[in-house]
Amino acid sequence: MKQNVAPTRSNLLKLKDELKFAELGYELLDQKRNILVIELLTLVDQAVEYEAKVNASLGTAYAALRNSVLEMGKLKVGNLTGAVNVENQIKLKERRVMGVKLPVVQTEFVDSGPYFSPLETSFLVEEALDSFKESLKLMGRLAELKVSIMRLALEVKKTIRKVNALDKIAIPDLKESLEFTVSRLEEAERENFILMKMVKNRLEKKKEDM
Amino acid sequence: MNYFIIGDEDTVLGFELAGVSGASVDSISEAETAFTSALEDRNNGIIIITEGAADLIRDKVDQYLFSAAFPLIVEIPGSGGAKAGHKDLRTLVNEAIGIKL
Repeated sequence: MKQNVAPTRSNLLKLKDELKFAELGYELLDQKRNILVIELLTLVDQAVEYEAKVNASLGTAYAALRNSVLEMGKLKVGNLTGAVNVENQIKLKERRVMGVKLPVVQTEFVDSGPYFSPLETSFLVEEALDSFKESLKLMGRLAELKVSIMRLALEVKKTIRKVNALDKIAIPDLKESLEFTVSRLEEAERENFILMKMVKNRLEKKKEDM
Repeated sequence: MNYFIIGDEDTVLGFELAGVSGASVDSISEAETAFTSALEDRNNGIIIITEGAADLIRDKVDQYLFSAAFPLIVEIPGSGGAKAGHKDLRTLVNEAIGIKL
């Protein structure tokens, strides 16, 4: 960088502007990074919590399913799935954090129970059905959080790289060439000054000689 | 958009009770075909995959999880309960992105 700049006054002005711009950019990116990291941390906390919730809810769902299979037989439960008329609808929306698009998932159920005759079916099937529905809802949210985390983390990585590039390379480089230009300009000024002095001395000597 | 479930027989049965269509898989080739066809179907908003099924095609799932935006993929413990040594989210993020949280 240092070698590429001719030490002139217009370049000095340009360098000063560039340095100011780089420092402003660094500040903004630093803020962006902090905001993204805070958002990421909250999301990870939430996701861990939701993961635990999903696992617990799935645990009860599996248990209920096992019980109903034990009571009625797998074949009958399998047949019942054909009778159940639940439609799940996922609505995807979007929210933005610092220009990063994050999905927002909403799960809706369209159901029109009762689905089957209570005769010869166990209430355990109902229980299993309800708990599976519950876990589905939680899972939608978990998926939203996981994807948000992945996207945010990628953005954080990019931002960190930019911040570091500015902080460790661009700004020191600019400062170095600025210093170089300033010192060269001062040097040239001093040279000029001496030159003028010498010329003046010579002229004065000539005057005395005359 | 809908959910889609890939997993062992019991898990799929359970989710079918809640109105989710799915494919039960036992082998690697079955898992691969189920996963690819599930990805191709634009109607699937969220793909739920059990740990057991995901382990069969771990590379594909991980690659998809971290790169593609859509559909969303959720991994859940199968009907046999959660496996030991399951990585939690924090380590997953650390490994994928290389950021310490």
